Amino acid sequence: MINVKKTLFYQGINLFWSEIKEFLITLGNIGKDFVRTIKAMSTLRVDRKTLIEQCSRFSVDSLPITLTIVAMTSIIIAMQIAPELAKQGAGNYVGSLSALVMVRELSAIMSGFAIISMIGSSYASEIASMAVTEQISAMKVLRVDPVEYLIVPRFLSGVIMMPFVVVVSTFCGLVCAAVISNITAEITYLNFINSMWHGLFVKDIFVALLKSSFFGGTIALISCSCGYSTRGGALEVGISTTRAVVWSFVAIAIWDYIFASVFYL
Amino acid sequence: MGIEVKNLTKEFNNKKVLNNISFKVEDGETLGVVGFSGSGKSTLLKIICGLLYPNSGEIITPPDADIAMTFQYSALFDFLTVYENIAFPLVERKEFRGKYSKEELKQIVAQKLKIVGLQGIEDKYPSELSGGMQKRVGFARAIVTNPKIILYDEPTAGLDPVSSTLIENYIVELKKELNASCLVVTHQLSTIKRATDKAIMLYEGEIVYKGSTQELLEGKNPYTHQFVTASIKGPMQIKSL
Repeated sequence: MINVKKTLFYQGINLFWSEIKEFLITLGNIGKDFVRTIKAMSTLRVDRKTLIEQCSRFSVDSLPITLTIVAMTSIIIAMQIAPELAKQGAGNYVGSLSALVMVRELSAIMSGFAIISMIGSSYASEIASMAVTEQISAMKVLRVDPVEYLIVPRFLSGVIMMPFVVVVSTFCGLVCAAVISNITAEITYLNFINSMWHGLFVKDIFVALLKSSFFGGTIALISCSCGYSTRGGALEVGISTTRAVVWSFVAIAIWDYIFASVFYL
Repeated sequence: MGIEVKNLTKEFNNKKVLNNISFKVEDGETLGVVGFSGSGKSTLLKIICGLLYPNSGEIITPPDADIAMTFQYSALFDFLTVYENIAFPLVERKEFRGKYSKEELKQIVAQKLKIVGLQGIEDKYPSELSGGMQKRVGFARAIVTNPKIILYDEPTAGLDPVSSTLIENYIVELKKELNASCLVVTHQLSTIKRATDKAIMLYEGEIVYKGSTQELLEGKNPYTHQFVTASIKGPMQIKSL
């Protein structure tokens, strides 16, 4: 009985240690790939065609799902708060509250989640597939830097296009909130817009854009890095994709906390 | 000058995969590298082309020698067309960027495709080609920079006998065309016979035979005898099965 307990204890310790090791290896790979990406970017040579393709993929291709998620979240929040605030005689604050919630928080984080599931996962799986089918090795043998060719355009597209996605989704979310507030609590559009401008500051917009740029870069980097370090076969491609999604979720949640602490505490 | 490998050793997890390997391949010569699975053949190629670092030893090549490698499963970029695959090093490699016009690139790609007996498939994607055609496109991509050293990793694996012969003929032709030093890692006796001039045999990371292809196929050495007769009994024990 004692031996069984001991064995289970050691198995638990081993499992815990292997998880810690895996965590540190992934963190190390992401850090290494970040340094390589910055180094490759310092040559200021980015293939314009590839960059435009990746930008289009990151923004235009992801917009339908991003807008749907942000619009639905915004509608649900407006449905919950507009009638309640109107009942309390605070209907004038629905616009400012919606704008504050959307611009400061929801639009960026919900867009981030949508981008992770749609773009991040595809970055990770396609680069992982390339790694396990020796396409990345072939690139190295042909003396083309895979980081410069594969990661840099994706990283840049994330940094550049995420603010665009967030601006469009915020606009869409606020329009939805205005319509729902009008339907459910009879708050006029003019009232909603006036209230919205009272609640928002330039700083909020600046922070939202900066934050979304960080989100975009982080999602692209983590997804590419997880794909790039894949070894093995189809099973490992799946594991890398899952790892990219989980790490990206956690990373943008941490960034969100850091931005909130730095700019709003 | 060719390529010279001196006292090469490679370890993975304290296990020697290659132990003190030395050989030389002259210009216009093809060396076959044979051995059982897990004997270190592919590791040797990966070290020569720079994908892996050795623990010790050296590889001597002419200064600025271009080393090309063809992969067992072709490793064509599946998101690019045949034309884009072959032109890839000329478009993306630092020293060639902007050097060739679109017209020149088209001509070079067409010429390389002609050498490997494939014409008019520039717009196809790798997934639209047969295994043998993919290998030949891989050859065309490898030789597009006119390399002086060409490494072939299992060039005929998984192909039917006729396609294998075709590939073996191209290996011989490419060597003549470029006067290159070639290394062919293979399991297939037909490939060793038709495409190589001399051969080494690896077992447990060490060279157990070094000599002419003819002698290897005669099987006078107990190791080569076991290999060419495909016998289970002999000095080599298969541990990976």
